[in-house]
Amino acid sequence: MKQGMRSKRSIAKFLGSAVLFALPTLALAAAVPGERAPAFSEVDAAGKTHKLKDYEGQWLVLEWFNKDCPYVKKHYGSGNMQALQKKYADADINWLTVISSAKGKQGYLEPAEALDVAKNHKLEASAPFLLDSDGSMGRAYGAKTTPHMFIINPEGEVVYAGAIDDNDSANPAVIPDSANYVAAALDASLAGKAIEVASSRAYGCSVKY
Amino acid sequence: MLLSSFNRTVFLAFLLLMACWSGLSTAQETASGDHVKVRWLVPDTFGPGAETIGFYFEVDPGWHVYWRNAGDSGAAPRFDFAGATGEVGPIQWPFPVRLPIEHLTNLGYEGDVAYLFEVTPDAAAMDIVVNLEWLVCKVDCIPGYGIMTLSRPVGTAADWQPQEKQLRDRFLAMVPAEATAENFPWQVAAVTASPQADTLQLELAPRDAGAELSSPDVFPLDGGLLTAKAPEVAQAGDNIRYTFERVPGAPMPPTTGFVVSDGERAWQLDDEEIRAGAANAAGAVASATGPANTQPLWLLVLAAIAGGAILNLMPCVFPVLSIKLFSLAGHDGQAAHRVKEGLRYAAGVLVTFAALGALLLVLRAGGSAIGWGFQLQSASVVLGLILLFWVMALSFSGLYEFGHHLMNVAGRSRGGSFATGVLAVFVAAPCTGPFMGAALGAATLLPAYSAMAIFLGLGIGLALPFVLLCVFPALLNRLPAPGPWMETLRQALAFPLYATVIWLLWVLGRLVGESGWLIGAMLMLVIVFAFWLGRHAFRGSRWLAWGLVLAALVASFSAANRLQEQGVASGSVQQQDVTAGWQPYDRNAIGQALARGQAVFIDYTAAWCITCQVNKKLVLDTAEVADLFRKNDVYLVRADWTNQDPEITRALGELGRNSVPVYAWYPAGERTPVLLPQILQVSMIKDLFSE
Repeated sequence: MKQGMRSKRSIAKFLGSAVLFALPTLALAAAVPGERAPAFSEVDAAGKTHKLKDYEGQWLVLEWFNKDCPYVKKHYGSGNMQALQKKYADADINWLTVISSAKGKQGYLEPAEALDVAKNHKLEASAPFLLDSDGSMGRAYGAKTTPHMFIINPEGEVVYAGAIDDNDSANPAVIPDSANYVAAALDASLAGKAIEVASSRAYGCSVKY
Repeated sequence: MLLSSFNRTVFLAFLLLMACWSGLSTAQETASGDHVKVRWLVPDTFGPGAETIGFYFEVDPGWHVYWRNAGDSGAAPRFDFAGATGEVGPIQWPFPVRLPIEHLTNLGYEGDVAYLFEVTPDAAAMDIVVNLEWLVCKVDCIPGYGIMTLSRPVGTAADWQPQEKQLRDRFLAMVPAEATAENFPWQVAAVTASPQADTLQLELAPRDAGAELSSPDVFPLDGGLLTAKAPEVAQAGDNIRYTFERVPGAPMPPTTGFVVSDGERAWQLDDEEIRAGAANAAGAVASATGPANTQPLWLLVLAAIAGGAILNLMPCVFPVLSIKLFSLAGHDGQAAHRVKEGLRYAAGVLVTFAALGALLLVLRAGGSAIGWGFQLQSASVVLGLILLFWVMALSFSGLYEFGHHLMNVAGRSRGGSFATGVLAVFVAAPCTGPFMGAALGAATLLPAYSAMAIFLGLGIGLALPFVLLCVFPALLNRLPAPGPWMETLRQALAFPLYATVIWLLWVLGRLVGESGWLIGAMLMLVIVFAFWLGRHAFRGSRWLAWGLVLAALVASFSAANRLQEQGVASGSVQQQDVTAGWQPYDRNAIGQALARGQAVFIDYTAAWCITCQVNKKLVLDTAEVADLFRKNDVYLVRADWTNQDPEITRALGELGRNSVPVYAWYPAGERTPVLLPQILQVSMIKDLFSE
């Protein structure tokens, strides 16, 4: 009996791993710190196309967004994310906020809705949301969570990939005591210093591809 | 004492009051949110000593809460103790399961779970106030918050409700114990980070050799270093190798930890040292044993030239050169013409070496592990060579007066000498001469310009004897004058070609399995038949012949390719080796043998390497040598590189080589190998044991 159970389980395991092997060929692509950023071309909520090429020679921050994700709410409800966007926009750093939710999934927005959400969230990004509903950009970057953050330097290299800060609580009250990785990386870069933390476990909700 | 505990109670009461006022949630003995109810798992009365208690999470079906490392998304629950009348230990996390959620994998619990911790009361009552935060997810996630309080008397002994204690014990049994030699049925053989691939390998060896253990689940503690995706699990002898995917760009800490679980119990491995994998090790070994970093470049180039010259005598190059010499002898003997031919031949050799060198450098830059001799690892290339040598052999035998055409290919025309040079390099590659291995190995580690210099050195070496023969007609003139002997010689020369064809067929068989022989032989048959058809010119027979050849080519090449892709290969060959005492290559098994202090002999070989086969037949597989090995308890390993196994490529790289044969000898108790010459003699093996 027990034997039978075990063999059944190992068959299930085997099938499981076979599926695991078959599936993630696409998911393997990712933006890796120290390597070139994957190219993208996405239309924003206002209908303008943004390409990686457009940002050559400039700093670019990418942020993955889902308005219904508690972790996104943590950083937008507290104004933390918008404050960062504003601060670095003033330092001529581009900031694109990407929605990779597929149609019918949590966080998916039609262009008109997205413009509204941008407005009522007081989004301070360089463009209203990039609408990546086919998930191509999210998959190319290996965006796992909202908010997943990437920083791309003027040479087109990824210099940071991971969480926004070091505290994976959903409670906005922890923000003042959290170490913000994105701000630290940008500040270090602007000051011509090396980035101390270039990678972290991205916390948050899964991106709803 | 009494006073202090009174003070504490007052303090807690104050905290409670604050908590109530803060209005986040009402302080009580339970907490709840969407899909989650949390309650205490505690005795009615605490004893005076340490007690393990916990938070019991009742989670709706299909929803889950998280382990300490939540995996690719999600978050572990937080327990923030605001106050307690006693000592509170760290949270103890029952081992998790992998939860694949769409494109991610999380580590958590399906169904209810208890997060445990130890308390030692130091007052008359056990009072605790704790702030909770948790995340419960199905696909979407909902955070929950709460404040929970506890107040229980402390008596002479702990008094549990039986079912509560049972529940506590159930989850306590799932809390990983610190792995020790007594309780952990495995031991960590290695934690290795591979620098090229973004992976990290954990290797577990059973503590008792021969123990029947199924492979346990392993969960990484550091979600910033490793993704939660199920690791690739491979059996390596008795050992189990887990290959984890690293978080892209994560810096490598000196140590990391895992939790290992057999589904019932769990063990925690803390602070396992991460060793650098292949590339770093290769660099270190090369600088220690290889000539790469210590020898001046000119010496290496000289060695390369010498190695190249010796290639001329290798059995697989000689036929090609004979053909060429034969064509020159048939010529009217103008010195200027011969010099030109020689130079063209040299140009062919050099250009090919340069091209291969450039290719190797490009691939090396691409981080791809590749070795010399790779041409013959492709079934289509082997089949193409079979075709070429078969047609040449047939022509030499006189079946078809292909002579003029052949001379055009390998002889008279400008392209001809050049082509001979190109051909010579390709055919020579697999049988590396004694010096070639070291030079090539160095070339894979040297800067690009030095590597290229070595390649060109090899080319010069290979071309030199031929050019000399052309420049100094005195030597060439010693060849007899053209005459009927040429016909005899030509026919005689067919036989090495037939032998080469047989050898190549055998290589093809090793590459794609037994059907390799059939495919090759059928192709050969069709070619002969087509020649016969072509000679008996009835209406349309030529067209028929060409059609047949074309069809045979398409069919055989696609079949060979398909078979190779399916990887029908090897297997059978290794079995027969095992019975003769030779083990297939397995890094762990070798490591273990070395750890035991056993002597190890590794034969890095490949089916297409004729030098390897000669050594095997004449030395390694002789009864005398087998006896020596057996008597001295040598662990024998045959590392078969026929299909370019990446593990073996890596091992060769660590020895500073990238071609076979390589014979690595680890005397008993030694961990650094002695490399034996590429052409073995029985006496060399005897010498290993004579001291």
